[in-house]
Amino acid sequence: MATNLKPVDVVVVGLGAAGGTAVLPLARAGLKIAGIEAGTWMDPAKDFKADEVHNNVRGMITTGNKIRREAPTFRTSPDQPAQQGGPSPMMNAIGGTSIHYHAQSWRLKPWDFKTVTEVKKRYGAGYLPKGSTVADWPIGWDDIEPFYDVVEHEIGVSGKAGNINGVLDPVGNVYEGPRRREYPMPPLRTCDYLEHMKSAARSLGWKPFHSPAAINSEPYKGRTSCGYHGYCDRGGCHLRAKNSTCFTTIPEAQKTKNLTIFDRAQVTRILADSNGRVTGVQYLRDGQEFFQPAKAVLIGSYTYENVRLLLVSKSKAFPNGLSNNHGQVGKHYFGHWDAQAGAGVNALFPMDLNIWYGAILSQGVVIDEWADDSFDHSGLGFIGGASLTVYTEKHPIASAASATFGQAPQWGSKWKAWIHQNAGRAASAYLQANSFPYENTYLDLDPEIKDPLGDSVIRVTSGPKENERQACLYAQDKMEQWFKAAGATVVTKGNPTGPRLSTHTYGGTRMGDNPETSVVDKWGLAHEAPNLGMLGGSVFATSGARNPTLTIQALAWRTADHLAKNWNEIAG
Amino acid sequence: MPEEKPDTMTRRTVIATAATAAFVPVGAIRSAAQTPAPQRIFSPEQKRTLEAFLERLCPKDELGPGAVEIGAQDYIEVQLGDYLAPEKQTFLDGLAAVDAYARTSQGSGLADLSAEKQDQVLTDIDSGKAPQNTRAFFNRARRLMLEGMFGDPHYGGNKNFAGWDLIRYPGPRLATSPDLQKMGVAIQPYRRSAWGNDGHNH
Ligand SMILES: Cc1cc2nc3c(=O)[nH]c(=O)nc-3n(C[C@H](O)[C@H](O)[C@H](O)COP(=O)(O)OP(=O)(O)OC[C@H]3O[C@@H](n4cnc5c(N)ncnc54)[C@H](O)[C@@H]3O)c2cc1C
Ligand code: SF4
Repeated sequence: MATNLKPVDVVVVGLGAAGGTAVLPLARAGLKIAGIEAGTWMDPAKDFKADEVHNNVRGMITTGNKIRREAPTFRTSPDQPAQQGGPSPMMNAIGGTSIHYHAQSWRLKPWDFKTVTEVKKRYGAGYLPKGSTVADWPIGWDDIEPFYDVVEHEIGVSGKAGNINGVLDPVGNVYEGPRRREYPMPPLRTCDYLEHMKSAARSLGWKPFHSPAAINSEPYKGRTSCGYHGYCDRGGCHLRAKNSTCFTTIPEAQKTKNLTIFDRAQVTRILADSNGRVTGVQYLRDGQEFFQPAKAVLIGSYTYENVRLLLVSKSKAFPNGLSNNHGQVGKHYFGHWDAQAGAGVNALFPMDLNIWYGAILSQGVVIDEWADDSFDHSGLGFIGGASLTVYTEKHPIASAASATFGQAPQWGSKWKAWIHQNAGRAASAYLQANSFPYENTYLDLDPEIKDPLGDSVIRVTSGPKENERQACLYAQDKMEQWFKAAGATVVTKGNPTGPRLSTHTYGGTRMGDNPETSVVDKWGLAHEAPNLGMLGGSVFATSGARNPTLTIQALAWRTADHLAKNWNEIAG
Repeated sequence: MPEEKPDTMTRRTVIATAATAAFVPVGAIRSAAQTPAPQRIFSPEQKRTLEAFLERLCPKDELGPGAVEIGAQDYIEVQLGDYLAPEKQTFLDGLAAVDAYARTSQGSGLADLSAEKQDQVLTDIDSGKAPQNTRAFFNRARRLMLEGMFGDPHYGGNKNFAGWDLIRYPGPRLATSPDLQKMGVAIQPYRRSAWGNDGHNH
């Protein structure tokens, strides 16, 4: 029997990028919050190492935890058997994946929120991808911009504005939507390689700019600036210069004394009464079951678990899973077409790049000419495109293990001589393409594979997509052009076949005005269970051509802010 | 290096480690990364065969030490007795299959062949001419050799930082100045294990 705990105002499930952000506006509004998190605190001095075996080969920061026990299964079509994929690099800890992510901290574009309308207007309805269920978001630029601004300043984002209230500055990204003010910190430090790539881009007539990064380029709010130490990827920041929620919004919320954290606690069910209102959550801690009653519940457990928690939480009011009486939970899911999906590009240079150190994508330079609707797509046969990022940070094992560009065998003296000269001369580019939801891509419960508690894992079905593939191929050609202009002697391109399990996942609890085609409303609250909110990429209707986290955080803040400001109507 | 790729482990390790790792709490797993007490995994014959194999993958030559002097076999032995224990038997079986193939194709065990004949054995495996079970071993041994040569010395390999010197990797620093990102210049190596300091002072 579950132990009943003292009721709180709000339960937040998962204290990662999304949940860890939402707790702050709630706490500041004076609401009593229980933050229930499967992982625990990590110690920057002890846990975070400049060690590739530890971080990247063995995933010591990212594995050995809950996410391993419930890895989703994957298939490319419903007539195929789904197989459990490799380990997910998503994290279970206070701070979640924001602990070790690459911290590129992007705003989406106004176009991303109104893609259907804009495409119809510019190219006609026939240009929308076949089989896609893409819809306009129920919110637009003016709705989200204030929250981007709040989060950028709260956690600290480094960057250079390209458009302040319509005034363009080509040192920043002129393709961005208008922002109300400059970033709180200048971009991260540049270096020779990035300057070299910038001149090459300019020689092509393009406008390179530095990555926006949730990493301190200068001391900010009592924390030091980045050490560019080159183990940013999957490591966690030993200097606390990466603005993970465990260093920013979560401790800030704790200061109010309104947030109580229950760590090492796995939420297993969200409970609802017969009127369709959620009443609290059930969780397991040290093998014991607890029931935490609450007036409202916000779920920020990453897309796969967000959907799974709803689907396994069945009740009288919701026989097919919480807030799923319209059968929309799990629908309109999609993964991002990026390097994981085969859209990478690699280059070999004739000189030592010395990009061993750095801060991965965050110490990067980006081209946005070929993303979103920055260019005319007439006659191209696809919509969207991809952002192109070149960056620093190379690790020794991966550098020695990388392909030899057809110039040497994989072993023997010739190989040895090749890596001696070239391990430090190869660079990769990170491409992220605009991706959309489709009928052939969705999440449901795997009928066979279960976690150790006996609950089904998520099954991902994700079929091929011609629009995204064409967009990737187009952008990869541009990237090749860029590398060649910079003097690369060989360039190789990945084969963009599409995402499998992804670290950028969207939809499943899509945001929309219509309960027939979405799960949450424009505030992130469930159509069918109004005191339940969903946080994370699972509410996105489109992906944009850039990483999701700042948008996840802006939306999480917005949902929490709305809940606090309308507390009596929503939770009373 | 493609970014945000799933962990770089091979499928085989994933399955092997997942089986044992499933219920161990984070803290317990992490402590497995502490320097383990070395354990004898290889018989003298197995060790000779493995060393012969690794030394052909990365021979000592005019560029400097090869896999064995850099300690790849020590990394493998230490780790098969520790973090990689679940794949120990598979590894030993693969090693035996390679040696058996050396005997049938070249007339004696791998370690007793000339360098040319050893290369022939490896080429046969690499090109798929040798029995199927030697191929998986080739891939895994090569991968573990890379980890042993270019990983942190903390794990038992990369003796005297010779692996990092070979590819001119300048060492794990905890903070870097802009000078360390200058293109086309030789960077002063920082020869130190990430575990050899308190993680804060440098
Ligand atoms: C290697 C890597 C690099 C990345 N780089 C970038 C980048 O540069 N820029 C960017 O924008 N994004 C990046 N991302 C993506 C980014 O990490 C995610 O967008 C973001 O973390 C998602 O936030 P979330 O809160 O939904 O999930 P998470 O941050 O993963 O947090 C979810 C939390 O919920 C907890 N949880 C899960 N289930 C339960 C349960 N049942 N009960 C209790 N708690 C639970 C988890 O333990 C976790 O702490 C990267 C991701 C990876 C893996
Ligand atoms: S590169 Fe900078 S932000 Fe990243 S872990 Fe190192 S010091 Fe921290």
